[in-house]
Amino acid sequence: MALLLKTHYELAKSSLKQNKTRSFLTCFGIAIGVASIILILSLMGSISTLISSQVSQIGSDLIVVRPSTNKNAVDSVVDELTSSTQYLKSNLTMKDAQLIEKLDNVSSVAPLAVSINSLKGDDLVPSATVVGTNPNFLKIQNLTLKSGTFLKENSKTNTAVIGAALANDLYGTDEPIGKSLTLLGERFIIVGVLSEIDDPINFNNLDLDESLFVSASTLNEIDNSLQIQQINIRATNTDGIQDTVNLIRETLVAAKSGDTNFSVLYGEEITHPAGTLFSIISGILAIVAGISLVVGGIGVMNIMLVSVAERTHEIGVRKAVGASFNNIFLQFLFEALILTVLGGILGMIFGYSIAFLISLITPFSPFISWEIVLITFLTSLTIGVVFGLYPALKAANKNPISSLKFWG
Amino acid sequence: MAEENDTIIKLESLTKRYGYGDAASFALKDFDLTVKRGEFIMIMGPSGCGKTTLLNIIGLLDTATSGTYLLNNEPVSRISARRQARLRSKKIGFIFQNFNLIPDLPIIENVSLPLVYSGYHKTRRLIRASEILDRFNLKEKEYYMPFQLSGGQQQRAAIARAIVSGPEIILADEPTGNLDSHSSALVMEELKRIHSEGNTIIMVTHNPNLTQYATRVINMLDGAIDTDIKTVKDSDLPVPVHQRAKKKTKKKTKRKRGKK
Repeated sequence: MALLLKTHYELAKSSLKQNKTRSFLTCFGIAIGVASIILILSLMGSISTLISSQVSQIGSDLIVVRPSTNKNAVDSVVDELTSSTQYLKSNLTMKDAQLIEKLDNVSSVAPLAVSINSLKGDDLVPSATVVGTNPNFLKIQNLTLKSGTFLKENSKTNTAVIGAALANDLYGTDEPIGKSLTLLGERFIIVGVLSEIDDPINFNNLDLDESLFVSASTLNEIDNSLQIQQINIRATNTDGIQDTVNLIRETLVAAKSGDTNFSVLYGEEITHPAGTLFSIISGILAIVAGISLVVGGIGVMNIMLVSVAERTHEIGVRKAVGASFNNIFLQFLFEALILTVLGGILGMIFGYSIAFLISLITPFSPFISWEIVLITFLTSLTIGVVFGLYPALKAANKNPISSLKFWG
Repeated sequence: MAEENDTIIKLESLTKRYGYGDAASFALKDFDLTVKRGEFIMIMGPSGCGKTTLLNIIGLLDTATSGTYLLNNEPVSRISARRQARLRSKKIGFIFQNFNLIPDLPIIENVSLPLVYSGYHKTRRLIRASEILDRFNLKEKEYYMPFQLSGGQQQRAAIARAIVSGPEIILADEPTGNLDSHSSALVMEELKRIHSEGNTIIMVTHNPNLTQYATRVINMLDGAIDTDIKTVKDSDLPVPVHQRAKKKTKKKTKRKRGKK
C-alpha cells in the first residue's frame, strides 16, 4: 500500500513537473488565500495577546465605568463602526466620579473626558485627542513623566501635560515645558511631558502618546458639549472587588434615578468591548480570506479538468497497460493535493512574511502557533480533496478505447 | 485435461452490438474462437469487420454484449474490474498501430509503465525496462523522448512495453500499419522471436505478406469467421520458456526417484 501511494505520488509529481508554469500559478492562487488567512489569524492572535498582557499589567484592582446601551453586542459594534466618534451617548458626569470617590474600598478615581480638537503650538495639529482628567490619572495608569509635573488640583493657570509623540508634532521637540498652546481659544502652558509608552491599543481607547491632558473641569468650561466617556477607579483591596463593583453600580443607579445605561467592569471584562468589535471584524476578514481560498480551489479544479482533458490519450494508454480505476483516480487526486498543500506551505511563508513586515511598522508582533499551522495544512488538504475529487473521478471513469482514439 | 490447460482463450457465441433496435449494428456476431497457448494468430479482413473490437474484448478493454469469454478457463464476466486491470498489466501486452507511447515520458518510463501497475519499485522497474530495451537494441535511446525516435524504433519500444511484464498473451493491432517495409520486417522479426519463446500472439493486419509468420490465419467478415487455416500443427507450437524448464525438472526428479 505504501509503495502504491509512493508510486502515485511520483507519477503526480512528474506530471506536475511537465507543466511547471501552470502548476506554479495554480499553487499561487491557493497560496494567496492561505496567506491572507495566516495574516489575519496571526494579527488577531497578536492583538489578543497584546490585550491580555495589558490586563495583567493594569492589575486586578482596576475598575472601569463606561456608558453603555442595553443593545446586544452586534448592534453596539455596528454603532461603533458607523458613528463618527466612539463616545456619543455618555450619561456619566463629574458628579458620578465624585460619588464613587467617597465609597469604601476606592483608593482613587480619574474621569476621562475626551474630545478631538485642533491644537496650535509652534505648529498646528488639526485633530488631536484632548483628555480632560484629574491628577489621579497618572497614578491609576501607572504612567511616568519624562519631565515636569502632572496636572495639579486647583491650579490657577491653565496647565496641560502632553504625550511625547504629540509634543514632537506640536513643537518639534519632546522638551516643550513652559511653551504654550491654544485650545478652543484658551491658552495652556505645558507643565509636563509623559514618557513614551508606545501602546496605542489599550482599554482607554486612547493613544496616550498622541494625547494632551488637561483638567477635566477646565475642559468642561471651554467645551460645553464635553461628556465623560470613562471613569477609571483603583480599589484599595483586591479582595471583595466584586462587592465594590456592585456598590458602585447601585450608587450610580440611585444617583441617576434608575438609569442603567452604563457598565461597571473589572479584570478581563475591561478589554471586552474592544474584544467583541475586534473579533467580529476579524471574523468578517477571515470569511473574505476563506472566499479567496475557495476561488483558489476552483482554480485548482479548473486546471485539473484541463489536465484531464489534455491527457485523455495518456489515460487510455495507462488503462490499456493495466491501470485500474483507483490507480488513475489516485494519480489525479494526488496532483490536486500536491498543488494545494504546496500552495498552503507557500501561503504560510507569504502570510508570516507579510505579518512580519507589518510588525516592523506597527506594535503587532506576528503570532505563530502550531494550531494555525495545523489548521492551514488541514485546510489546504481539504481544499485539495474537495476540488480534486471531481476531476479525478472524471479521469478514472474515462473509457480506455475512446481515450486511445483521442489525440489532444 | 492437458488439452484444457493448453487453451488460453475461449470465446463462445460472443456478440458485440452497437446501438439499439433498427440502429443496431453488430461488430461481432455469435463469434466462436479457441486459442491454444503458443499460437500466433493473424486476423485479416476488411475494415469494420470487427477485428479491433475482438482484440479489445480479448484484451479486457471492452466487454461483449452477450456470449462468454473464458480467459485461462475463467469466465471474464466474473472477474472484477480491479483484477481485470491487474491482468492487463501482468498477463496481456498491447501493441498498437500508432504505438501509443506517452509523449511526455522518456522511452524507459514508457516501457516500464505496465510494471507501475503490477507493483514494482521504481528502481526495479527501470532496471527491468533497461534490460528489455537492451534486447531491442534501444539501450542507448533509453532517455530519449518518443518524438526523437523513428517510427520503427517507437514501435519496437512499444513492443518492449508490451512484453516487459512477461505476459502470456500479446495483442497487436496492425503493428506494422504505420511503418515502412524495412521497419516492418524488423518488428515482425521481434514478434517472431517473442512467439518462439512460447507466447501467444494475436495480431490484426491488412498485409497478406505477413501471414508467413503466423501459425494460424483467420479471415473475418461482418463480425464472424470466414476462413480459419492452421499452418502449424498444435503439437508443434512452441512451449513457453518457463514451462520448458518445469518439464525438464519434473523429468529429472522422476529419474532420481526411479533410481532410488
